[in-house]
Amino acid sequence: MKKQLLDQIIKKKKNKNEFAIITNIENGESCIYEKNKPIDKNFEKYLDQINSYYDKKKNGIIENTDIFVETYIRPIRVIIVGAVHIAQYLVDYAKSLNFEISIIDPRGYFASEQRFPDLKIINKWPEEAFKEIETNSNTALIALTHDPKIDDPALQHALKNKFYYIGALGSKKTHENRCKRLRDAGFSDTEINSIHGPIGIKLGGRSAPEIALSIIAQLVAETYKK
Amino acid sequence: MKNSFDEKILEEANDWIKANQNVVLATVIQTWGSSPRQVGSRMIVNEKGDFSGSVSGGCVESAVVRECIGIIKEKKQFKKIEFKVSNESAWEVGLACGGEIEVYLEQIS
Repeated sequence: MKKQLLDQIIKKKKNKNEFAIITNIENGESCIYEKNKPIDKNFEKYLDQINSYYDKKKNGIIENTDIFVETYIRPIRVIIVGAVHIAQYLVDYAKSLNFEISIIDPRGYFASEQRFPDLKIINKWPEEAFKEIETNSNTALIALTHDPKIDDPALQHALKNKFYYIGALGSKKTHENRCKRLRDAGFSDTEINSIHGPIGIKLGGRSAPEIALSIIAQLVAETYKK
Repeated sequence: MKNSFDEKILEEANDWIKANQNVVLATVIQTWGSSPRQVGSRMIVNEKGDFSGSVSGGCVESAVVRECIGIIKEKKQFKKIEFKVSNESAWEVGLACGGEIEVYLEQIS
């Protein structure tokens, strides 16, 4: 692989582009391919097969050829509401798992750069913050403030936009009250029951890194269920 | 749904190159049976034999390192190697799990 190609790959990954690396394993040539953009001449005749791998997000050698395809997909976006202690550990786990994290917290003293280096925190109320973030059914929400003023609008946005994972921190009682408020706001039982509350799988631990682990484990499990 | 559980090996390769090291990239391109790591798994090796990432569960990494050093010495651009079930009687390199993998080695130049 040429160093120049490696530089391009790293740049595309950084920009969260979707692309594939195509390699001819018999002559060592390789290139980057992006859907609907022209492909390197050396690989033109395999375009249909490459597209089929690309669409299926599949890695492997195309049958009866010497062409190896490796696809890079956008990381899953995870929105955390509440720049709290647990969020600091979630950011660490998310780094190894390659989730793309955005944190929303209107409280300036939580959302400080010192607590979250290398991460832009959206220091706004959820309704305003969601105008800046593109969300869809492949987005996840982790609500951590257990303050209805902050969590509820975010949960409502996530339910309306059919996020694939919605979790909310808080005791059973906090969650019961939350469910009641959402019911009053017009959400159906099916919608409300799709919220993971209390959040996380049962591990037993109560410290911030342990709770973060239980949340991230649930998130990964739900990612593969879909 | 799939996430891109990316191990940032290519970024690390770039750091090594910036530090003036010769780097060979090893990628799992094909697997048969119960191989430990999936297609697309990667490791990098430099001329000193330092490595990062993995192409198996620790079963064949030592052989991959040797092959990669060989590629750097011989100034080869690329090579394919296949690993099969290990021979139980020895310390021989192979996959104890009974799987088979094919690894593509390429020098970054």
